[in-house]
Amino acid sequence: MSAVIAGSAARTCHGGGQDTFTALLAGRCGVAPLRHRDRADLKMTSGYHIDGACPAGLLTGCVREAVRQAGLDGRHRIMAIIGTGLGEQGRIEDWALTGRRFPARQLHFGDAIREAVPGVTEVITLSGACSAGGHALALAQDLVEAEEAEAVVVAAVDTMTLSMLAMLGQVVPEPAERIRPFDRNRRGALLGDGAAAQVVVPESWRGHRLGRVVGTGLSCDAHHPTAPDVEGICRSMRDAFDRSGRAPAEVDLVVAHGTGTALNDPAECSALRTVVLGAGGAPLVTAVKGAVGHTSGSAALVGVDVALRCAAEGVVPPVTGLCDVLAEGEGLRFVLRRPARLRPRLVQVDAFGFGGVNAVTLLERA
Amino acid sequence: MTALYATGWSLHLPGVQMAEAFPAARHAWARADAVPPDRAGELLGRKGLLAVDPASRLAMCAVHRALSLPPGLRPTGRVQPRTALIACANFGAADAVTRVARGVAGEQRRRVSVMDIPNVSGNIVGAAVALRFGLGGPNLTVCSGTTAGLDGMRLASLLLRTRRADRVVLVGAEHAGEAAMALPVADPPATPADGAACVVLEAARSDTVRQVLVHRLAADQDWPRPPTFLIGRDGFDLTSRWGGLYGAQGVVALALAAHLAADEGHDGVAVCCDGEDGRRKALVTRAASAGTSADSRSRK
Repeated sequence: MSAVIAGSAARTCHGGGQDTFTALLAGRCGVAPLRHRDRADLKMTSGYHIDGACPAGLLTGCVREAVRQAGLDGRHRIMAIIGTGLGEQGRIEDWALTGRRFPARQLHFGDAIREAVPGVTEVITLSGACSAGGHALALAQDLVEAEEAEAVVVAAVDTMTLSMLAMLGQVVPEPAERIRPFDRNRRGALLGDGAAAQVVVPESWRGHRLGRVVGTGLSCDAHHPTAPDVEGICRSMRDAFDRSGRAPAEVDLVVAHGTGTALNDPAECSALRTVVLGAGGAPLVTAVKGAVGHTSGSAALVGVDVALRCAAEGVVPPVTGLCDVLAEGEGLRFVLRRPARLRPRLVQVDAFGFGGVNAVTLLERA
Repeated sequence: MTALYATGWSLHLPGVQMAEAFPAARHAWARADAVPPDRAGELLGRKGLLAVDPASRLAMCAVHRALSLPPGLRPTGRVQPRTALIACANFGAADAVTRVARGVAGEQRRRVSVMDIPNVSGNIVGAAVALRFGLGGPNLTVCSGTTAGLDGMRLASLLLRTRRADRVVLVGAEHAGEAAMALPVADPPATPADGAACVVLEAARSDTVRQVLVHRLAADQDWPRPPTFLIGRDGFDLTSRWGGLYGAQGVVALALAAHLAADEGHDGVAVCCDGEDGRRKALVTRAASAGTSADSRSRK
């Protein structure tokens, strides 16, 4: 079983999806001084900002673009599943600090999606930490395959919040100046503002096709509140292959989660070595967070947008910020320094989040 | 219309005198006391609750009761990879977000606690419940406003039909904290209340436990036959009786319907959730060979 991706859009500190891909190919790091420090005591000093970012606005813009590209209109029965890590918590913070109230319905994204897709039948918002978008994509494919919707808009968004920035400052001895995924000298994650959207339709779709989503594996570690667990991550990877009937050896590109934290990167390497390399796979591995920051709930779908562009253009960006591969990465073929020529057939996109929530998506060319 | 089997359910509504609403109730469910979040240890045991916020405590209490675990028992053992968890909660992280934001940017700044790291993540309720009960299947936290509870039921149905899980623990929980009290739900308007409920859903009938059938209906679909009891605006109105349960409301309605079908002889309890985020409907009926002995303690 599989479904077609008929439209895709992204927003990061570098701009839209194409701008982001261009920046990735050039190895540009979008980090900047953290703007939240002028109003809060924060240990973190840097972040990957989008000017004037607000979650609902980013989401509406992204969804409009993806829907337009797909050619969806009022004739289609459209559902939407939105994933987010922090949602509109920035508004709760604003209320906590200023007393400015707002309606509870603005905490989720029903109104933002109805603005972009007026005929949408249902909007379900999921809070899923840093793999929220991957979970939304899994359910979107399931809904399309079950013929419960003619098209599902799957989208994800996150912007930096004071409370998450404050918490990240608690766990690093010294804040990083930039993200260095999979590097021996990595010093932790930095947040980035971001959003992405895809339109998922059945195989019978006659319109525009960017690629196919062949399956997403889901698991929960149920192991630790914040630390990753290799066994839980392996379960999500195996689930992706089992569900889609593909073999790990078929993967020729991994868009890794790669947060540049002490714990994620070795755990992800270990899982890739066990599940993919252990079954004879030898994919290229890239990661985007060194260039765009950790865009939290939108990270998985930003990764999907990048994967679709790799497949379309036949080129894979290097891991921005990676110079000296960590010991646990031995045997993995990281794309270093310059882009690699490859038109991938099967791409694996990883996303893991707080609460041990894991989503691993397999995509292929249209 | 898609039907699921509910094999466990619970209502956890601190302060609600269930017997006032259901004086003729024949079974213990209507007299069960629900501890408030600060006394959750009486049900869950003392350990592991230190940094757990009220909404997650309420959710844990509901799940503990729906799984028929003895008071004070903390589940141990292997992670269950085929059991999924769907939490329905809109304000789950709001208390921690408020606390931390004021800590770093308020008028009286103070140290923030590293223990709040998981609590500021929007999926804290789903994450905390899965960790405590060892639920290793797909883990979703639905926060789509007034429809969250029945949206969660729809997703549970999807996870079961696509064989992503053999069993789904569906829990709804909201805490009437400072943010929930200050940020109004316009429709249905209500004073927020603490509350949680849980329904355990499976795709196949079980021969060993008591069960009811849960059917999902489209919002504009007619009831397949006249229900004998209606939970909703035009019938037993949860909001006016028990306060604003917001994201938990749909699951509270399903769990109440399960009790009424299994324990009180209703065959066909309609659930209708209307509000600012849309309308969702479900119907709970007795399963063909569901036990009629109906002592809720006999489950598992």
